Amino acid sequence: MSLKQHHIQLEKGDVGRYVLLPGDPGRCEVIAKHLDNAVHVITNREYVTYTGYLDGVKVSVTSTGIGCPSAAIAVEELVRVGADTFIRVGTSGGIQPGTKSGDLAIVSAAIRDEGTSSHYMPMEFPAIADLEIVSALRRAAQIKGVRYRVGITQSKDSFYGEVEPERSAVSEKLLDRWRAWEIGGAICSEMEASAIFIIASMLNVRAGGIMAMHGEGEFGSLEPLIETAIVGVRELIKGDADARR
Amino acid sequence: MQGDNGKQYHVQLEKGDVGKYVLLPGDPGRCEPISRLFDEPRLVASNREYTTYTGYLDGVKVSVTSTGIGCPSAAIALEELVMVGADTFIRVGTSGHIQKDIKSGDLAIISAAIRDEGTSLHYMPIEFPAIADIDLVLALQKAAKKTGARHRTGISQSKDSFYGQHEPERMGVAQNLLNRWKAWEIGGALCSEMEASAIFVIASMLRVRAAGIMMVHATEPMPPLDILLETAVQGLREIIAEDKANGRAVN
Repeated sequence: MSLKQHHIQLEKGDVGRYVLLPGDPGRCEVIAKHLDNAVHVITNREYVTYTGYLDGVKVSVTSTGIGCPSAAIAVEELVRVGADTFIRVGTSGGIQPGTKSGDLAIVSAAIRDEGTSSHYMPMEFPAIADLEIVSALRRAAQIKGVRYRVGITQSKDSFYGEVEPERSAVSEKLLDRWRAWEIGGAICSEMEASAIFIIASMLNVRAGGIMAMHGEGEFGSLEPLIETAIVGVRELIKGDADARR
Repeated sequence: MQGDNGKQYHVQLEKGDVGKYVLLPGDPGRCEPISRLFDEPRLVASNREYTTYTGYLDGVKVSVTSTGIGCPSAAIALEELVMVGADTFIRVGTSGHIQKDIKSGDLAIISAAIRDEGTSLHYMPIEFPAIADIDLVLALQKAAKKTGARHRTGISQSKDSFYGQHEPERMGVAQNLLNRWKAWEIGGALCSEMEASAIFVIASMLRVRAAGIMMVHATEPMPPLDILLETAVQGLREIIAEDKANGRAVN
C-alpha cells in the first residue's frame, strides 16, 4: 500500500515542518526560488509541492487550490506527513478605506464566511492565527520596511459574490454583511484562511497568513510579499531554535 | 448615553474620571483589592454592578471598573468607558478549566473567545472572530514571565449560563451543551468564563484594545488571586511602557 497521502501525494520526509501555502499552484515555483536547493517533489490535482532549505532547515511550499474545501485537505494531509507550521501566502482584496495595492495584510484571525470549517467546529469558535507566527511576520515586515497592517481577514466561499454582489440572488445579504466586516475592522478578503486556522487549532499545529492586498492604485510585483513571508519563516526558525535552548 | 447629570447612564462616569487603561473584573467587590495595587487610588463611582476606582501606575492614570456577570452588562461597561476616554482594556477574573491538564491557579492569557453568548450577535454576525489585541496579549505574556506565574495563552469560551456549564445534565438542552463542550475541548480552548467575547467583538468595532487574563479553576481548590491581580497590573505597566516608547499618548 502506498504511504502517500491521497490528494497531495506526499509521504513522511517529503516536506519540512515549515510550509508556505499559496493558493495558486503556479506560484509554488516562484516561491521555491527563494529557498536553498529547492526541488519539485510532486504535482497532483491543484497540489504542487517544492521542498528546499532556509538556514539549513527544511522548508516546503504546497499550493492549496482556491477555497477552503481544497485547503482543508492540504493542511490535514501535510500534518500527517510531519508539517506543523503553516503560513498562507497570497493575494486578497482590501476592505478598509485607504488600503493601497500591494500593502501587506498580516492575518491575526479570520471571519468564517465559508462552509468548510463548520464541518470541524461550531460557528461560535474563533478562527485565529498562531501568535508566534503573527509576531514573526510582523517583525519580518518591519525588517523589510514594507507597508503592512495586522488584522482580520474575511474568508469567503464565493469570489464573484464579493466582487459582483449585485447580480447574486442574495445580494442584499452580501452587501449587509460586507458592511459589517468593514465596521468590525476586517482588513482584507480572501478564500482559505479561516478553515486553515480552525483545523490548525484542532490539530494543535501553528498557522498564520500574509496577503498582498488589492486597493487604490496599480497592483505591482508579488516579490515584497514573498520576500516578507520568507523572512517570517526565518524568524520562526530562529525563535524555535531559541525556545529549544 | 449620558443621563441628566452629564454622566454615562450606567457606569456614572464622565470624561476625566478614568484613565485610558482599565482593568475589568466581573465582581464589584474585587475592584477595591485591585485598586490597592495602584498609586493614590480613589473610589470614583459605584452604581448597580459598576464600581470604579482610579489611580496611577508609573505616573499614568489607570482605572478598574467591574462589569458584573455576563456579556449584557459587560458590553454596557465597555461602551460607556470608551465614551469617557478609555481605550485599553484587560479583563481580569476567574474561569473554569476546559483542557484537563490545567491546574487550579494557572493563568490563562486570552487571545480569542468562543462567542457562546447572545450579546455580541447584536454587534456582528457570528462568523466574525472575537480576538484580543495582539500587543496586549504580548504585554500580558511578558508580565506573567516577570511575576513567575504559570500561564498559557489561548482561547476562552464565553458563555451565557453558569449552571449550563456546571450542571448541563439537568438542562432541557443537555445533549447540545455536552456536545459543544466536547467541541471546545477538541478545539484546544483553555478556559470558560462569561464576558470576554462581547468585550473583544465590541473592542474591534470601536477600534480599541482588549485582552483578558484569568485564573483557572480546575479540580483542586483555588489559591488566592494575588498572582492574577499582580500579573494583570504588571501587564498594564508593560503596555504603558511600550506605548510611551512608541510615542502613543498615555494620558
